[in-house]
Amino acid sequence: MKTKYVLTFPHDAADEPITYLLVKNYDLKVNILRAEIDEKGGKMVLELDGPSDVIKKGIQFLKSKKVEVRSIEEGVRKDEEKCTQCGVCISICPVGALILDKKTFKILFDDDKCVVCGLCIDACPTTAMELLL
Amino acid sequence: MSEQKQLRTYAEINARIESKTVSVLTAEEFKAKVASEGLAKAAKDVDVVTTGTFGAMCSSGVMLNFGHSDPPIKMQKIWLDDIPSYTGLAAVDAYLGATELDDSLNMYHGGAHVIEDLVRGKPVRLRAISYGTDCYPKREIDTWISIKTLNQAVMFNPRNCYQNYATATNGSSRMIYTYMGKLLPEYGNATYCSAGEISPLLNDPYFRTIGIGTRIFLGGAQGYVAWEGTQFNGKPPRSANGTPRRPAGTIAVIGDLKKMSADYIRAMTLHKYGTSLSVGIGIPIPILDQEMAKYCAVRDSEIFTGAFDYSEPKRSRTVLREVNYAELKSGHIEIKGRKVPTSSLSSMYKARQISSELKKWISKGQFLIQEPIQKFDLEREFKPLDVRTKEEVCR
Repeated sequence: MKTKYVLTFPHDAADEPITYLLVKNYDLKVNILRAEIDEKGGKMVLELDGPSDVIKKGIQFLKSKKVEVRSIEEGVRKDEEKCTQCGVCISICPVGALILDKKTFKILFDDDKCVVCGLCIDACPTTAMELLL
Repeated sequence: MSEQKQLRTYAEINARIESKTVSVLTAEEFKAKVASEGLAKAAKDVDVVTTGTFGAMCSSGVMLNFGHSDPPIKMQKIWLDDIPSYTGLAAVDAYLGATELDDSLNMYHGGAHVIEDLVRGKPVRLRAISYGTDCYPKREIDTWISIKTLNQAVMFNPRNCYQNYATATNGSSRMIYTYMGKLLPEYGNATYCSAGEISPLLNDPYFRTIGIGTRIFLGGAQGYVAWEGTQFNGKPPRSANGTPRRPAGTIAVIGDLKKMSADYIRAMTLHKYGTSLSVGIGIPIPILDQEMAKYCAVRDSEIFTGAFDYSEPKRSRTVLREVNYAELKSGHIEIKGRKVPTSSLSSMYKARQISSELKKWISKGQFLIQEPIQKFDLEREFKPLDVRTKEEVCR
């Protein structure tokens, strides 16, 4: 299974090769979607792919390293009331999570494809795209 | 048969609208009919074709009259929810423009947002100051207004509904923020802003049926074409089918804000650029003859525009290439050997909704076709602004 997590790093955990250890010790497929870490600590958005019990162990490992872990049910939300279905977000999205339905001409948002990069957030003229991190 | 041999008059069309026997199709339906049954049959069968567009129209705003306070005030400076409006008019008249910002330059709440709030019936705070006169002694006021308390709330937009528009991309190495949206570096994306084949002015390229006085769908209500739009260019380069290959004609429009709907009037924020207003406009095209039918049969693949590098800080940017709307709407165009994702700043979904809504109004006998009271001057050129001397201007 694949699940997305937000990791919050305290300043003293920031210099450990945590993603390397997740791969090496737990054989998890790790996809870094977003990372903002400096000497003061920071945040990382990870997608972990592997058996659910192994993911659980990986997360326990992260927590033991004082990393705060929160799973993301939803990273970005599209507000249908605000959206005017213009579609300017489509060409901004690097992973094709925003697509035009050629029958209805509505803009569809595919939550599973979204890597929570945030590029669409300030590109939306009606502030219909919201980052929930 | 001459293409301009008259098939029907405005009076005949309106008589059929009033008796609810009019044949009206949306631009999409009409193009499909032409494709399956041929131009002559479509021209013979259909009285009116409805078009639509919904996109960023920065040159928009509203004329407001607040009524008089007691004692009265000659408003010299005013703020509507902190957004300044122009009051260099009589005592309690003001013009609120869509792109106006407050002193903090907050781009998430500008004139357009106040206009949308008015349309939604929300309360708006009015503050005004004055120097006080013998007849208008009051020097300041702080109160609340809404669309209901205003005497007049008239949308008057000096330039809307561009007949074709440029495609924007970014060849530089950094992200740029423009009125065409956020443009990713190294030709990372391209944006365009026209409904293409269903856009009003592309279905009447020479303004044969659209001119001063034309009744239109404006923001969900009936409005009118007031004048040619500012920056009107009657002489753009054109394709053989008559459609301009660059931004060309524009219209100034007027209508009653009190009757409009937030479904078709929406505030926009173009990040790091400013605010704008999405305006929904629909125009009915009477099929007076086969030539009008031919114009309304135009397809996306036959309408071209230029793709420009918006990182070039110049008035006349270099054309990277010409593209047609079928390519743009496919989701990708090729620029310099790269497959560049495209998307639209104007909503096809809303544009289609508007053309259907206008069709409904006409079918139900609620909307008559107004022949232009005066045609536009297609000799009108779009002039640049250069830094000149007094003497050069007088020459």
